[in-house]
Amino acid sequence: MHMYLPIALTSVNYLVVVGLGLAVGLLSGLFGVGGGFLMTPLLMMIGIPPTIAAATDANQIVAASASGTLAHWRLGNVDFKMGLYLLIGGFLGGAAGVQLIKVLRATGGADFLIKITYVVMLGSVGSFMFIESLNALKKNKAAKAESSEQAAPADKKGGLLSKLPLQTYFEKSGVTHSAMVPVALGIFVGVLAAIMGVGGGFLMVPVMIYMLRMPMHVVVGTSLFQIMFTCTEVTFLQSYSNHTVDFLLAILLLVGSVFGAQIGTMLGKKLKADQLKILLAMLVLAVTVKIVTELVMEPSLLLAYAGGH
Amino acid sequence: MTLLQLYKINIGARAMMVCAALVLVLGGVAESFALTCVTTPDKVDIGMSYHGAKLVVSGQSKADDELIVKITAPNGESHLKFKGKAANLFWMKMGSMVYSEVPAVYMLSSTSPVDKMLLTDQLNENKIGYPALESHVKIESDKMEVEVKQWFDEFIRFKEKDNLYSVREGAVNKTIEQDGATYKLELDWPYQATPGEYSVEVLAVRDGKIMEKAQSTITVARAGVVAQLSDLAFNNAALYGVMAIVIALVAGFGVGAVFKGGGSH
Repeated sequence: MHMYLPIALTSVNYLVVVGLGLAVGLLSGLFGVGGGFLMTPLLMMIGIPPTIAAATDANQIVAASASGTLAHWRLGNVDFKMGLYLLIGGFLGGAAGVQLIKVLRATGGADFLIKITYVVMLGSVGSFMFIESLNALKKNKAAKAESSEQAAPADKKGGLLSKLPLQTYFEKSGVTHSAMVPVALGIFVGVLAAIMGVGGGFLMVPVMIYMLRMPMHVVVGTSLFQIMFTCTEVTFLQSYSNHTVDFLLAILLLVGSVFGAQIGTMLGKKLKADQLKILLAMLVLAVTVKIVTELVMEPSLLLAYAGGH
Repeated sequence: MTLLQLYKINIGARAMMVCAALVLVLGGVAESFALTCVTTPDKVDIGMSYHGAKLVVSGQSKADDELIVKITAPNGESHLKFKGKAANLFWMKMGSMVYSEVPAVYMLSSTSPVDKMLLTDQLNENKIGYPALESHVKIESDKMEVEVKQWFDEFIRFKEKDNLYSVREGAVNKTIEQDGATYKLELDWPYQATPGEYSVEVLAVRDGKIMEKAQSTITVARAGVVAQLSDLAFNNAALYGVMAIVIALVAGFGVGAVFKGGGSH
């Protein structure tokens, strides 16, 4: 029942780890998030050192997002063009964010600022999505609409944004934007993600829904496509520079998560866009409540290993 | 490992270790059993299914002696983060704390309470018990003046949670024999203890004095796949990283393909 992890230097019950992978993979396939904001603390709870938990999670997300991307691609839910622009922005933003965090840390007191930003971000994104999708669900119920997929009008564009150069039609998403918009949004999410030390799925998904006006199901598939690349990069850098990827732990996790991602995708197909949004909003709010509780309650141990959030 | 195998190893190792054990006679007359210390097994292999090990420390002593068994890792620095309340609002990691002059692993067992056997000075000098360790510890922080008592107590709680520190008074069982005594300590070796060499030291105490010391070692080492993966991760990090990514991608796309093949939709 136990497996020893050569890098984490600890022993875990492999059924528990496979179960964790399955649960988080399911959320990944369902909502298009990497799930790092859930998985990293869960791994720390079973005794994995924080830096190894975060790096190894990135490795298993490569598998879960590959599995999820393939499933969503078959359903026609991956906008490769949009994903590519977001990815370019994400890489640039990530690199800038890593430098920014060094400057912030050097000035001192940055950790508090980062934590507050993280909680406020999670809380406001979660609340906004929850209220918005609740209203949409009520409206749809009243109108007896079949699907809310049209809730985001394809041709709706901001006045200023439509005047930007490089206007491009994104066929899969059915929207037209300047190529600069997804790149800029990618940079924005990349910077925030790097500062907060998370993958950024929970930020990227709302950005795609509300700012790029993409249909929910395409958002999920495209987000997974993008996450696959960012996590590949993170896995390599963490293995190469920090030796913090535990390959055996990653295998146990991905055994669960690749199946979880498939199940999540199938479940997602059965749900309407607003139902998906409200579930994701509830998940984000639950994580916010958990983080706030941890921040307010006195921890049982006042010492911890270095690294992690 | 069966009981029979354990017994055979026990006998073999005991024979070797009795010869090899470093015995320091500090005083007294060797009219009966000299103090010995044998750890069985004395080598712990960390394989794939490793979840700690059962160890036995045993040997001979004089009939009247009280015994203390101390298992430690060599002294080193522990680099940790400490938590505090930021802006009087949130509990979070506030800075680093470096503990030195204390071992990473400390397991103390004895036949009876150690403060009944020896005076404080002797306990401190020989690092026997938590208060003795506290008298040696050096704690430094990048963010504040350290209150040693409070932060040493936190350190003990942190280490005890991972089973790396323990004090078990009364856990060493002594059996009186014709010419002396034999003793035995059964030990659950924690899987959290990292690979390395650990020292096992037995002290014989009589009339408030340490009369004899004997030592042995426990070697904990990675074996098989665990050792190979660890080597690869540290000595060929690029290949290790690429392998981790390729396997993740193959698993992800592979399962995706299988699901399609299974006609799930």
